[in-house]
Amino acid sequence: MIMKKKIAALGIAVILAAVSLVGCGSNSNNGGAATNAPTKEPAAEATDAPAATDTTVKLTGDFEIQYFVGGYGDKWWKKVIADFQAANPELNIKESAGPKINDQNRPRWIGGNPPDFVYIDGPVLNDRQMVEDGQLEDLTDWLKDAKNVDGDLISDILAQPAQQFDGKVYNIPLVLNSWGVFWNKALFKEKGWAEPTDFPSFLAVSEKIKADGITPFIHTGKYPYYINGSFLYPAIVSANNNDFSILQDMAANKVEAFESPAVLAALNKIVEMRDKDYIDKASIQINHTDSQMLFLQNKDAFIVNGLWLPNEMAKDVPAGFDFGFIPSITQEAGGKVVANTSTATVAIAKKAKNKEAAKAFLQFIFSKDQASQWAELSGAPSNIKGDISSSNAPSHVKDAAKYLTDPNTVVIPTITYNADVDKAMMDATDALTISKITPEEWVKRVTDVVKKVSK
Amino acid sequence: MNSGTVKWQRNIFIASFIIPTLLFFGVFTIYPVVQSLYYSFFDWSGMSETKTFVGFDNFKEMFHDPIVWRAIGNDYFLVAGKVIGIMLLATFFAVALTRFGFKLAGFFRSIFFIPNVISVVVIGVLWNFIYNPQIGFLNAFLSLFTSEKVSITWLGFSDHTIWMLLPPAIWAGIGFYMILLIAAIQSIPASYFEAASIEGAGEWKQFWSITLPLVWEQMKVSILNIMMTTLNGSFVIVWIMTEGGPDNSTQVMGSYLYQMAFRQFHFGYGASIGFIILVLSLITTIVLQRLMRHDPVEMS
Repeated sequence: MIMKKKIAALGIAVILAAVSLVGCGSNSNNGGAATNAPTKEPAAEATDAPAATDTTVKLTGDFEIQYFVGGYGDKWWKKVIADFQAANPELNIKESAGPKINDQNRPRWIGGNPPDFVYIDGPVLNDRQMVEDGQLEDLTDWLKDAKNVDGDLISDILAQPAQQFDGKVYNIPLVLNSWGVFWNKALFKEKGWAEPTDFPSFLAVSEKIKADGITPFIHTGKYPYYINGSFLYPAIVSANNNDFSILQDMAANKVEAFESPAVLAALNKIVEMRDKDYIDKASIQINHTDSQMLFLQNKDAFIVNGLWLPNEMAKDVPAGFDFGFIPSITQEAGGKVVANTSTATVAIAKKAKNKEAAKAFLQFIFSKDQASQWAELSGAPSNIKGDISSSNAPSHVKDAAKYLTDPNTVVIPTITYNADVDKAMMDATDALTISKITPEEWVKRVTDVVKKVSK
Repeated sequence: MNSGTVKWQRNIFIASFIIPTLLFFGVFTIYPVVQSLYYSFFDWSGMSETKTFVGFDNFKEMFHDPIVWRAIGNDYFLVAGKVIGIMLLATFFAVALTRFGFKLAGFFRSIFFIPNVISVVVIGVLWNFIYNPQIGFLNAFLSLFTSEKVSITWLGFSDHTIWMLLPPAIWAGIGFYMILLIAAIQSIPASYFEAASIEGAGEWKQFWSITLPLVWEQMKVSILNIMMTTLNGSFVIVWIMTEGGPDNSTQVMGSYLYQMAFRQFHFGYGASIGFIILVLSLITTIVLQRLMRHDPVEMS
């Protein structure tokens, strides 16, 4: 068995070595530093007591953290790990980090030798798949009464609860980001355009924008999850009386959810935009960087994107550019704003060698102090409830945090779709935006895949 | 020293060269192929420690997967397009730069060879810029001839986008095969051409009767090499430029393998696609070799 695992791991390593992988851009050149060194004997008994404040339990041995470095950077990770190390001097913390770390560590996950703690973000890692593969520790019982280093129940301070897989919790959202629609406030002010608050006002202003010779709307056709996350899913929820359970049913591969009139209504909003010639025709072939550049050059008035956009493009933002943001523009007049959250979660490997250190680290990072620290160092809102208004977080992050904590906002929690269904939805949306298929064909295509994966 | 000892020493000498090569080939070529075939009989996500044996199910599913057929079609479209495009242009430039005493021949040889020293990734990114509908060179160039700004979405035609991948693929390949053919043409004794010229044969006749038959072996190698590198290596240019989109219209077997194995967590299915790529490459090589068996020197 062990031999087979080693062979499998070697096989993956060989294949990975043979494939050039181009991932999402990152400013970090921090390569992965994973090691397979044997670990020291960890502390004897796991407890739910806060590690940093409990002097009776000393964390010892090796503790390895795997974190992907992407749009949120690694400043927060460096800081929080250094703080955790200071609080636990006898613990030997190893960092496996970098923009390619998910690929680099894949053979170790297959070989049953994963890092103890994992931040699930970036390509390759998919929480649903990891749960199905039995790679993650079941945190359901632990989370019920786990307290952080301040003595607060962790479940009480989460802005969004952890996603459940068949009623069980395996990973906890660390980031609470949101998809949405951006525009340049300065341009709107200069042109006298009204900022949109709903779909009718979005259409009305788009007509004016078009008349002024600017393309109203751009999306990232090469990666259609941008338009799905920012436009389609909120539109489905709005058309479903603000009930996001329809998306959860879609994630559970319930065919009837995809055949709901709400889905067709949402798709028809894309068709309306398309037929009114509001969508930049360049969208279909360009990636996120290209679409963002065109938006920053005011060639397109609106862009669908996530809250990481200002941080990601910080070096390219022209002087005077002022980001406007709303989580959704697909609600009818007077309708509630729908914020489709984009989260990244943290988890403990089922085969972690130092689970007590991993749990202590969870207790350490899910504290109120980290809410501001994450917002400041990553440029995104954290999933920890906490007032960040007095922090040094960017203004758009504070605005977003207001939206996400507003009782009038419908906040869609973390929902992970089956990878095949997700791909089918992305392909179909792309095809819809270029008039290749109708909304009914979108539904047919996707439900065919849903039926296939449900067998 | 008796003859038996000499023979034994000679065999040892030969084996000392062959065995390391065989070992290297076995470990780094044969073993991964066998392992890939092994994985193709399993339903495996590529992340889990456990695999479910499914026999030939992955192969059966491939036959019913329209994207697989589209990818195979795209692969052979690129093979045909690249073979025709590269061989025609490489032959033209090779002849032009060797047969006419062109003064700047050396300079142009270097210029044409440049794409070969550039990474395919860079070529993909470069052509993405060229094709960019808003700020791309191609639309800017076409706009010079029209009253309105041209904004063609070159990589967004969906069903015809695969055509747009041919120019970068051909452009990237010309230089290498041109150099190969230049070397072949230069090895032809000048007296052949002089004799033909005295007999009244023009440049065109000389090309058909002397140049082409005498470089045919190099051409055969080139065609086979283009075919192999395309079937096995079109993944990179496709992935960089379109990632198989829009709507799977530019998917090739390599990119679909990657998509299924590493994005959609069907590693067993990806492995079966990989094995089919190997089989298709072998079949295509055998068929091409059969087709190109005749000796044009005998025929001319």
